[in-house]
Amino acid sequence: MTNKPTKGVSTPISRRTFAKGMAIGTAALASPFSIIGSANAAKPLKIGVLSPESGFFAREGQACRRGYELAGPMLADMGMPVEMMFADTESSADKARTAAEKLINEGAHILVGAFVSGHTMAIAQVAEQKGIPHIINIAAAPQITKQGYKYVFRNFATGPMLIKNGFGLIKDLFKATGTTPKTAVFMHVNDTFGKAMAGGVKALAPRMDLPFKIVETIAYDPKAKDLSVEIAKAKSTKADILLPASHGPDAIMMVREMVKQRWEPMGIMTPGAPGTYDQAFFKTLQRFSEYVMANVPWMDPNLDMTKTLASGFAKKYPKNMMELNVGFSFEATLIAADAYKRAGSSNPDQLAAALRETNITNHVMVGGPIQFNKEGQNVNIKSTTLQNLDRKPTVVLPAGSAEAKPVFPMPGWRDAKRK
Amino acid sequence: MERIFGGVPKRALGLLGLMIASLIIAPAIVNAYVLSVILITLYFAYVGQAWNLMMGYAGQLSLGHTLYVGLGAYTSAALFVHFGISPLIGLFVGMAIAVAAGALIGSMAFRFGIGGVYFALLTIAFAEFTRILFEHFDWVGAMGGFFLPVENRDSSDFLNLRGGPVMFYYVILFLCFAALGVNQWLLRSRLGYYWMAIREDQEAAQAVGINTFRYKMIAVMISAAMTALGGVFIAFYYNNLFPADAFGMHRSIELILAPIIGGMGTLFGPILGAFILTPLGEGLTILMESMGVKAAGVKQLFYGVILLVIIRFVPGGVWPLISKKLGIDKRMKGKSE
Repeated sequence: MTNKPTKGVSTPISRRTFAKGMAIGTAALASPFSIIGSANAAKPLKIGVLSPESGFFAREGQACRRGYELAGPMLADMGMPVEMMFADTESSADKARTAAEKLINEGAHILVGAFVSGHTMAIAQVAEQKGIPHIINIAAAPQITKQGYKYVFRNFATGPMLIKNGFGLIKDLFKATGTTPKTAVFMHVNDTFGKAMAGGVKALAPRMDLPFKIVETIAYDPKAKDLSVEIAKAKSTKADILLPASHGPDAIMMVREMVKQRWEPMGIMTPGAPGTYDQAFFKTLQRFSEYVMANVPWMDPNLDMTKTLASGFAKKYPKNMMELNVGFSFEATLIAADAYKRAGSSNPDQLAAALRETNITNHVMVGGPIQFNKEGQNVNIKSTTLQNLDRKPTVVLPAGSAEAKPVFPMPGWRDAKRK
Repeated sequence: MERIFGGVPKRALGLLGLMIASLIIAPAIVNAYVLSVILITLYFAYVGQAWNLMMGYAGQLSLGHTLYVGLGAYTSAALFVHFGISPLIGLFVGMAIAVAAGALIGSMAFRFGIGGVYFALLTIAFAEFTRILFEHFDWVGAMGGFFLPVENRDSSDFLNLRGGPVMFYYVILFLCFAALGVNQWLLRSRLGYYWMAIREDQEAAQAVGINTFRYKMIAVMISAAMTALGGVFIAFYYNNLFPADAFGMHRSIELILAPIIGGMGTLFGPILGAFILTPLGEGLTILMESMGVKAAGVKQLFYGVILLVIIRFVPGGVWPLISKKLGIDKRMKGKSE
């Protein structure tokens, strides 16, 4: 594990370096007599960071890493220096568990991660067994914080929270724009995520007193290469709005097919799914990416800390777009550093006690102060309505965080407003 | 016992005893990280042996073997969560369901003469459609995942497989070496000879009166039952199950790597293969870190290259080579070679 500046892959590796590395690696792995590092190590706080940087979730894991890498210097500027120890979970629960053990063994005082619910669960068990605090940056399975864990804290919305917040914002949108659609079609990818969203929509929609009726729910295969049939079916319902639960490429296919079939509903708005605010979405769809909406947790653009994070991000990663994975990963380290500052110690029990008392009002994501309930869940996380305006996901709701006013109904596909 | 240990060179028994003794005392001397690596290694050694029984001894290529892991895992976990049934009872139900699935696949394939790659495709198809089935099976959480309640206990509850990593370590250690004994016993039985005859030349085996359908079915069913037991272990160790992880193709590939690298059709090959692959992965992680290489995926690249090198230079697996050097090759490879 290292917190040294990265040399990158292109760094030439001499035979001597390789041999030295191999020797260190072998010795570290083979050394059976090394004991678990003392949690009460000297300053600064050692944060063991776990993300799926390779494998199936690599794209999201690498986005999380950007957030962590920005956190180091920012927290140091804020007088809270931390030492990051990175580990790749390789998109595998087996690896997530051993990586957590390794980080603790190397002296991590606190663990952060790990984007995928199953992997997060594996890490949480290790953390709980060892009595090392674990801050979850992203993972939506509600069960994680229902296990009675004492050392696990989640600064991310659960699946039901995402949908509830998402539907709440849809109602706010109608109020703000004075336009109320009467019918909707819910289209979801038929995989773990999409099915969970569908379950949430089915359970929560009747209780949310929505002004529109979901007239059709259409599921599509995650490996689908064509959504013409699904879009034709959706179009035939003459629904006013489309509520998609997609990932990335499928969101692009969906909009392309809508353009092709000239289906122009009043709006496309996801109640809590990604895919419509990705770089690829903008690059591929260009003007057709405009005005699509997503109700997801997001950075509050008006906060000073967000502005600092955004400027650091733009400088360090000019080719990438800052999105919620970056924001939540940054916040996870902020929470760790804040707890350490208040605890005045890296003792895990004192850190956990400080985490339970967390009350961070100055942070980057939209929502109330970061506070954890007795289950370790931050219940103050809110969603925003993002609308794609000028090829950029722009916060349009809630009004207090908005950068622009929402455009609803959205202009037709051939409207001159689309540039 | 004679069938298991009889005729095995003393040196081989000594080395095996030393290995087992080292593994027994390991929790007392190694740190939690190393222990978790050994635990995963033993798991892959165990399921690798289960797969090896079917492919290595009976010559039936299964590329969807994670089907049995998933069935064992989901069955025992569901019985525990919904009815409070101990996994020590649930494992028999899980194994029975896996055996039934294996019997179905085997009977469909062997009755209609489906063999070789076509049989392999059939096993993939079954694993895939079972995955899809479980993705819509709400009783076990469907796509949202199935979670076992987790308790932070001070003591282990073996009856319910609730406890810390050390308990799980000893469970998988026992399973791994029990499987070695069972495989040795099977190989030295009439059944083992029939399997190897079928593997070498099915038509010739048939010609000398071996009921190939029956003995291939037995191989599939024993292998399925053993693999399902591995599934029970993994369900209670991780406490969460997702269809894509339990039945996914990538899991099947992971499961067969150890016997392929270690030596298919050899008794000790799957164990050696697992002890090469898992520590290799971890060693590469540490190596990359110590060299300051942080780009994601580089480790996997090196890992792939090393696998290629092994397969290129020791296509029969590493164990035959090592056993020859140790002078224990003929006996420890079983009667298969």
